[in-house]
Amino acid sequence: MNTNHEFFLMQLADSFFPSGMFGLSNGLESLVKHDRIKNEQDVLNFIEQQIEFQLVPCDCLVFLIAMDAARNENIEELVEVDNRFYSMRLIREVRNTSVRSGSQILNCVIQMTSDKNKSKIAKDFQKKIKSNETVGTYPVCLGITANLLGIPTESGIRMMLYSFSQSVIAAAIRLGIIEHISGQKILIILSDKINNISTNIKKESLNNLWQLTPLTDIFQMIHEHNNSKMFIT
Amino acid sequence: MLKNKKIAKVGIGGPVGSGKTRLIERIVPILIKRGYRCCIISNDVISKEDAERMQRTLSTELKVMPENMIIGIATGGCPHTAIREDPTINLAVIEEIEKKDPNLDLIIIESGGDNVMTTFSPALADYFIYIIDVAGGDKYPRKGGLGIESSDLLVINKIDLAAHVGADLAIMERDAKKIRAEKSYVFVNCQTGEGIEYVAENIIKSVLFDKKPIVKKDRIR
Repeated sequence: MNTNHEFFLMQLADSFFPSGMFGLSNGLESLVKHDRIKNEQDVLNFIEQQIEFQLVPCDCLVFLIAMDAARNENIEELVEVDNRFYSMRLIREVRNTSVRSGSQILNCVIQMTSDKNKSKIAKDFQKKIKSNETVGTYPVCLGITANLLGIPTESGIRMMLYSFSQSVIAAAIRLGIIEHISGQKILIILSDKINNISTNIKKESLNNLWQLTPLTDIFQMIHEHNNSKMFIT
Repeated sequence: MLKNKKIAKVGIGGPVGSGKTRLIERIVPILIKRGYRCCIISNDVISKEDAERMQRTLSTELKVMPENMIIGIATGGCPHTAIREDPTINLAVIEEIEKKDPNLDLIIIESGGDNVMTTFSPALADYFIYIIDVAGGDKYPRKGGLGIESSDLLVINKIDLAAHVGADLAIMERDAKKIRAEKSYVFVNCQTGEGIEYVAENIIKSVLFDKKPIVKKDRIR
């Protein structure tokens, strides 16, 4: 049994993997500052809502489309989904961060991969970024990465949702509203939901992308204008 | 297509309040006067305060560089992570700068951090300056740590305060010499400018290799 993908999965999901994601609170910092999120239950609710109304209908679908396009070496589709996702990022900080993390994860995985044929689509996409034909958003670059490392779709979605949840929890701990054991409990509570989504999510067409997190969007816009902040978003 | 040349990068690290921002405010006008074009990235855990201050001093007051060449990054969490373990936020910003202005001579990256843990990833900085100040006590160089031991240049700031805080500069010099072996160190006063020329000269010799900048009209701002 080839279990290499499990190792790569762990490597990608590890906060030690260089992607710049450690600096994100995904809107939590602003919501905490304005007393909208105060405790463990609030953090759990926030993560669940973001998963349901942002990650599943948008980020995860983009990831699936990108994985598929990378598998088929369809560079045009990769560029199209990348530009579509970028245009849906309403907040400048979120747009910039997605592009910066995306290009860095792509650069890292290209350098990690010794098989030049396998990494061809990743390199082609990187060339498109460098020539300003596309931007290189995070879920698209992650999809290309997952395909390159042979990570199964279901595991990729699980990793994506876990990494998002983990980064929000880490931010909540740093912001001082929960302690580390509470953070671990939240992850356990979320595990059923994450496993269920990763098993049942299906790839849909680009036209079916949607997102609806207006409150988080507004508070992330407020965050852009804050003088004092711990996190990029 | 010509490949973009890599711009030389200097990392300046040190504890909060040691004088990193003031040091940059002092050395940048010297470098610019010598014709070198610089960009500054300021890593800050909780704000962009230092970047905004340098925009005021270097762009608005001294008019030596454009405001968009001073970039603030709020790192979130620990600044050591943003300059050492996972420098990707900084690398992404550097790539954007290199794309926007490939003719720059130097990028200065500022980041806070204590003496024990602070060091720059080799992927991020070609030359590492670590700055401490005498108000931390004359034991500081002796205690060592990554910044004090491994930096290319150790800068000891606020020497005018030594008498007021009971710090013995001779002890600091003896310990710096011992712990750093052949590596350079310098005593400075960023407020008066004492010792600053030495820092600027070190950057010009060790990082810019004394390369004379090409003087173009658009270099004069």
